Amino acid sequence: MEGKLADITRLFQKFKAAYDKNDTETSDNILSQLKVKLTELPSLPPLFKSSPSSIQELLLARDILEHAVVLSVKMEDQDAFERHFLQLKSYYTDTRGVIPPSGQEYPILGLNLLRLLVQNRIAEFHTELELLPPAAHDHSCIKHAVELEQSFMEGAYNRVLSARQAVPHETYVYFMDLLAKTVRDEIAGCSEKAYDSLSLVEAKKILMFASDQELLAYVLDDHPDWEIRGTRVYFQRAKKLAPCKEIPSLQLINQTLGYARELERIV
Amino acid sequence: MTVVPPIMGLDVEMSSLDSAPPSLLSQLRGVISSIEKGVASKEMRLMARANRQMLAVRRQLKPSTVNAFLKNTLPAGSDALARLLPFLAAVEKSEKDMDVDTPPATGQSPVSQKQSVLPEVEVFCYLLVTIFLIDQKQLEVAKACSSAAVKRLQQLNRRTLDVLAARVYYYYSYSYELTDSLADIRGILLALHQTATLRHDELGQETLLNLLLRNYLHYNLYDHAEKLRSKTQRSESHSNQQLCRYLYYLGKIRTIQLEYTDAKECLLQAARKAPASARGFRIQCTKWAVIVRLLLGEIPERTTFMQPGMRKALRPYFELTNAVRIGDLELFRSVADKHSSVFTSDKSHNLIVRLRHNVIRTGLRNISIAYSRISLADVATKLHLDSPTPVEDAESIVTKAIRDGGIDASVDHAKGWMQSKETGDIYSTQEPQHAFHSRIAFCLNTHNEAVKALRFPPDAHKKELESAEKRRERQQQEQELAKHIAEEDDDDF
Repeated sequence: MEGKLADITRLFQKFKAAYDKNDTETSDNILSQLKVKLTELPSLPPLFKSSPSSIQELLLARDILEHAVVLSVKMEDQDAFERHFLQLKSYYTDTRGVIPPSGQEYPILGLNLLRLLVQNRIAEFHTELELLPPAAHDHSCIKHAVELEQSFMEGAYNRVLSARQAVPHETYVYFMDLLAKTVRDEIAGCSEKAYDSLSLVEAKKILMFASDQELLAYVLDDHPDWEIRGTRVYFQRAKKLAPCKEIPSLQLINQTLGYARELERIV
Repeated sequence: MTVVPPIMGLDVEMSSLDSAPPSLLSQLRGVISSIEKGVASKEMRLMARANRQMLAVRRQLKPSTVNAFLKNTLPAGSDALARLLPFLAAVEKSEKDMDVDTPPATGQSPVSQKQSVLPEVEVFCYLLVTIFLIDQKQLEVAKACSSAAVKRLQQLNRRTLDVLAARVYYYYSYSYELTDSLADIRGILLALHQTATLRHDELGQETLLNLLLRNYLHYNLYDHAEKLRSKTQRSESHSNQQLCRYLYYLGKIRTIQLEYTDAKECLLQAARKAPASARGFRIQCTKWAVIVRLLLGEIPERTTFMQPGMRKALRPYFELTNAVRIGDLELFRSVADKHSSVFTSDKSHNLIVRLRHNVIRTGLRNISIAYSRISLADVATKLHLDSPTPVEDAESIVTKAIRDGGIDASVDHAKGWMQSKETGDIYSTQEPQHAFHSRIAFCLNTHNEAVKALRFPPDAHKKELESAEKRRERQQQEQELAKHIAEEDDDDF
């Protein structure tokens, strides 16, 4: 057992060296080897076999997985992120009394919240949020994600974008960039409904484009129904709910038959 | 399954027992006899009644009474008696100092002569001792006692036990909850649930599922709870209390997952179905229902908060509703701060945070109704948006509200104002018809449920058969009457 642990630690050192040099390819290779080796340690979830070295094993495994999560952000691989995070999560929840809490815990949890926000999995976002103790909400990383969600729901999009400058951790930038794209689509959707038309300059500013070309390309690709005439963008407004002109006969018949059937049962 | 006939000598034997307070013991004796009757006739309702009878006396129980009862009911030298008496010892010791009136019943009470006793009676004794210990605040002992009871139950497989077993499970989990160690019994509860499912013990399944949900929700494990809930089969509910609990837990899960419409339905139904005596439960349901309705953009009626006995507990939520109704962010913030300890203990703090968005929405709606045109800067000040760029914030908030259909307006970016549109006539749309339909559906559903819940005396249909003669007569009369009416109808035309 001792030998195995030392073996993994050595490999992990190698991984860290590659990781620090930002050599993602090598570190990813070593990581897969590490993960295979981790399965040989008996003290890790879900077995939790207690042995004299179990605390060391847990600490090492947690450290490796934390690095794996951050690495997957660096490689911009959301699926890998989710996989690693779910593995890591049981270390945070189930070994709370066994090993001391990790300093990386809240940054990584915050990162996960951000990912859920980017993927628009709001229900899971809130489920995760409920798991956090009240004290955690004051941590800058968690707070960041919670405030983003709020601004997002309210519609205060420029607050979302300005939050990019104030990221609590460098790994957050990747998700913030993804979020910016989502926000732009949201703004476009809102503008379409709220404005009749906008001048090109204004539209550029609202949709956060640097140049006219970018704006034009965006309009052509994503919103072909918008019309650019002269220096203004005209939005084809979606037809709003018109007063009901004709009677929805089929639906009415169905409902009335339903009532008749039920009444029949009562009388 | 074999059914042991009730032990006949019991009543005679018990009547000789006069040393302990007689009324209590005789009541307990009544419980035992209804359990025995229930086992003999396999009538689940008698078992449930036994449960209720016991709850009636539970407040007056004294260690000496329980002790006498146990010695009287369980055969001397049986395992159960040997296991249960030590549990009582802890309470008795503390009681001796202060309780002088009770006659020293412990030593003299006549010992049961029976050789064996129904497993149901044995389990009932476990249950009684557990409840008694919980009432006496001997929580650690209660934990040990209920664990022993569960262990004993796992060895038994009798359908007549189901009702009692469900109660035992409940108090088992309750004693662990009181000592804040719910996580320890999760595995056992899951195993019990599996067994109950395999044995088609539906009441047990229902109870255990609720206990598991409660267990998960206690630790905010909404994800686990939902996964378990969605993967278990649920049959028609057997107990109103369990159904209420289930609806309450489901409502909570749905709320966290932002499915507010479902959540509202569950929570309101739970609050309505709960018995009037379950005040704490109804308060909890109402609290959550209020938040969910606020999140849905509805404003609960004032009467919700004025229900007798709930007024004080609902006060923070009343103030909160007021803030949302007015749409005043400032007021909302101060209410949330003022009662933050209440909200935290209700675990509704995160939901309150979500409400901020609704406050803004309501405020915006009020503005859009009051003004036909207003500058965005004014909107920002009216909403008390505290941000470095209030006008830009206000603009994007307004545009989002327009897109989500919260307000009917348009924005002029160049001039920086919001222009409200004329409100259309709601009666020209299909909206009223939808509302009407949902109400009718609700009424019909209620009626159907009521019919399903009707109980009929077991032999009523046989009587009907015996008087087949009479029925034929009656039908004949009815036919004649119908003919008469038909003729009269003809006359009218």
